[in-house]
Amino acid sequence: MTIEVNGGRRGLTDPEIAAVIMAAVPDKPLETQRKMNYFMKPRGKRINEYEVLCCYSQPTPDWIPGGLDWGDWTQKFHGGRPSWSNESTEMRSSDWLAHRDPAFRWHALYVKDKAEEWRYTDRFLKAYSADGHVRSIDPVWRDEVLGDYLGAFGFYEYGLFNSHSSVVRDCLGDTLRMSSAMIGLDKVDNAQMIQAERTFLSKLVPGFPESTDIPKQEWTKGAIFKGARELVQDIWQATYDWNEILFSGHMICDPIFGQFVRREFFMRLSSYYGDNLTPFFINQMQLYFSQTKGITTDMFHTCLGADVEFGDYNNRLMRAWANKWLPRTVNALKDFMAIYATIPEIKGVSDKAAIEAALVRVFADWKRDFADPINYKVDTAALVKTVLSGLK
Amino acid sequence: MAISTATKAATDALAANPAPVSVGAQEVHRWMQSFTWDFDKNRTKYSTKYKMANDTKEQFKLIAKEYARMESVKDERQFGSLQDVLTRVDAANRVHPKWNESMKVISNFLEVGEYNAIAATGMLWDSATAPEQKNGYLGQVLDEIRHTNQCAYINYYFAKQGQDAAGHNDARRTRAIGPLWKGMKRVFSDGFISGDAVECSINLQLVGEACFTNPLIVAVTEWASANGDEMTPTVFLSIETDELRHMANGYQTVVSIANDEAASKYLNTDLNNAFWTQQKYFTPVLGMMFEYGSHFKVEPWVKTWNRWVYEDWGGIWIGRLGKYGVESPRSLRDAKKDAYWAHHDLFLIAYALWPTGFFRLSLPTQEEADWYEANYPGWYDMYGKVYDEWRARGCEDPSSGFLPIQWFIENNHPIYIDRVSQVPFCPSYCKGESTLRVLEYNGKKHSFSDQWGERMWLSEPERYECQNIFEQYEGRELSEVIAEGFGLRSDGKTLISQPHTKKDGKLWTLDDIKRINCVFSDPLKAL
Ligand SMILES: [Fe+2]
Ligand SMILES: [Fe+2]
Repeated sequence: MTIEVNGGRRGLTDPEIAAVIMAAVPDKPLETQRKMNYFMKPRGKRINEYEVLCCYSQPTPDWIPGGLDWGDWTQKFHGGRPSWSNESTEMRSSDWLAHRDPAFRWHALYVKDKAEEWRYTDRFLKAYSADGHVRSIDPVWRDEVLGDYLGAFGFYEYGLFNSHSSVVRDCLGDTLRMSSAMIGLDKVDNAQMIQAERTFLSKLVPGFPESTDIPKQEWTKGAIFKGARELVQDIWQATYDWNEILFSGHMICDPIFGQFVRREFFMRLSSYYGDNLTPFFINQMQLYFSQTKGITTDMFHTCLGADVEFGDYNNRLMRAWANKWLPRTVNALKDFMAIYATIPEIKGVSDKAAIEAALVRVFADWKRDFADPINYKVDTAALVKTVLSGLK
Repeated sequence: MAISTATKAATDALAANPAPVSVGAQEVHRWMQSFTWDFDKNRTKYSTKYKMANDTKEQFKLIAKEYARMESVKDERQFGSLQDVLTRVDAANRVHPKWNESMKVISNFLEVGEYNAIAATGMLWDSATAPEQKNGYLGQVLDEIRHTNQCAYINYYFAKQGQDAAGHNDARRTRAIGPLWKGMKRVFSDGFISGDAVECSINLQLVGEACFTNPLIVAVTEWASANGDEMTPTVFLSIETDELRHMANGYQTVVSIANDEAASKYLNTDLNNAFWTQQKYFTPVLGMMFEYGSHFKVEPWVKTWNRWVYEDWGGIWIGRLGKYGVESPRSLRDAKKDAYWAHHDLFLIAYALWPTGFFRLSLPTQEEADWYEANYPGWYDMYGKVYDEWRARGCEDPSSGFLPIQWFIENNHPIYIDRVSQVPFCPSYCKGESTLRVLEYNGKKHSFSDQWGERMWLSEPERYECQNIFEQYEGRELSEVIAEGFGLRSDGKTLISQPHTKKDGKLWTLDDIKRINCVFSDPLKAL
């Protein structure tokens, strides 16, 4: 037969072509090692699918620790700056490819989860609206807090989202890059969920404004989010070290400020004000928070902090970064305390004692999960006191 | 509206219409553009000479969750096919062996492009100011992660299910040995991520994606399927569904800078450089993979090239951008000349250097030689007779002691590497457009094969300093280089690469190579 086949003839199903192919295929496989990436060191007992599909996809030379390639970059920035370089971060690693998402999510697994969350969100909103839950929300909570302040908090999530762009460009490892893009997407998802909730409310409550105008005014000009806004702006645009961006955002700012606002303010209080809608969205954000925490904890504690060669140095650097970012985060939270003056107080729920207890929870969690592992000494009681001084 | 009235209105509204209500993706997306705010330090970390407009819109208007839904639907279909029926019919063992080898390279090299596109679009997400434009690039960041994983899945699948796992199972470690790798990094890696952000977008989206992913991703599925491979079309066509979005991003990039004064000064030069950069590698390499890496042929590469690169891209796609001052690249005509012979020239060199690959190559058979001669008159006199000579000297047989690279040395046809594209060329034995140019800079010699690359180097030599494989391996014996680069199969002695794909042919071992004592030398030193 002729070797040029057109008209879309397929070798798998066309008998004439298939016969030629089968005559050429070896009787038994030529190679017995059938596992892709067999040469790599797995995190667990065996190389899993995530490690097969992600690890060593990055073509870095061996002078960036962990890389398998050799030599220089084939094209550089104008002026000769290299494509990727060890100088892009103050952190040191003996293997920049060591990080793993603890949930081993490659792209398909990541989007599958989020797709399910979206479908469930759609079904939930339909049931919620048909059920008339919206009637029970306290009007002040609904119009002031959800209308303005939840909307303003969306800008916090959006700003942190954008802090991941240069990390995705600059970081030195494949699993780091994929994880950073995914935790970044979760942040814009949070901002979008907040807008989705406001749009949803505007459909149910005539007159409820879905526009972002007032929230943006609150975010850019208001006192409640002033500290948070300045903090986010600096993480996003004034920080160039990609590890410092991730560390300040996910190891300091979000586990303290973000956690307090989401968990202790919106989620805990909403049900007291008859709002069962907000917890639905915040719970998704909290799921993302915990997945992100798994990822960044792996980056900074499991990999960098425990690095055989550079662990001590890295922990020292993280403590220095904590010194830089913690006071600003505390200050952001202190500014946020002004929000309590805008809502009707509920004894034992939103009074000073309850706020203090909430702050103690957040700082205790942070100390246990983020400060202690890098041996960072912190007086959480003093921090709580500083924050409380912002109460009006 | 007063608060109590709003509550009453909500109650009334519910009483009048209790139909379930939800929120659609578009209803959220229409607020995206207002998500950002102005502040002092709000500027990109990656400089560009262009200014991207603040009000740039995107075409696809996805939010995070809707993106995930769409992609997961496609994933279910794709992975379902692979894991179910294709596995049951043992599809990976019904692929022509030559094509099994080509997919080691195609899928892995495309993976590098996909991987670097993650970083490239991260940079563009940073450089864009409009939230919608950022969002468009963000979608692409996620897509490129998807594509990286998908390309990996092809190698993973072929390794696990197919006829020769070697190379599929360790391409990420062994790919760096051979002569095709550095050039691949120029087009698919550094060309996307290192430079002016808009220049990188032009490389990635306007040229890489709009011009070459059609031949690369779509044409490859036709060649694959003709050669019995249904895995590749299953995956690559699913990749292609995302690429439309990426070409739209490239289009929007141009729209966003169209009114900027810098565009009238630099855009066409940047486009010309990007086109030459990409075509310099892809034109010969794709042609070679298709024609020499298959048994069954779909159509001559030159036809595919003319249709997709010259007419569709150079004509229609660039034509659509004409209203923004974009012109067809000046180098397109030179590229068109190369599309006829360059892949034949490159295969001669690639075959001669076969021991440095992570795949098996094959000499053209008689029926293939006839096909080449019919489609490229003059082919036999230049290439066919050389292959005949190599075959006669036993180049496929491990006991022959003959490596075709010796033929180049004996006949005094030195192989050089173009500093800018990193593509090897043999100026004294080629039918393509390559000519040797040598320049000295900082006490080091640099060879170039064409005026367009030479111009790029002349204006910015500091961007193209990368040493080539001959400089790197100089003075070292071939078997040593192979062993160091992990070019061996799991028995620890047989090479992954082989000069044939014959069922009953003997396989070369490291000792066979060592006996020949082939030592690398840098041809620039001899000048
Ligand atoms: Fe892609
Ligand atoms: Fe793409």
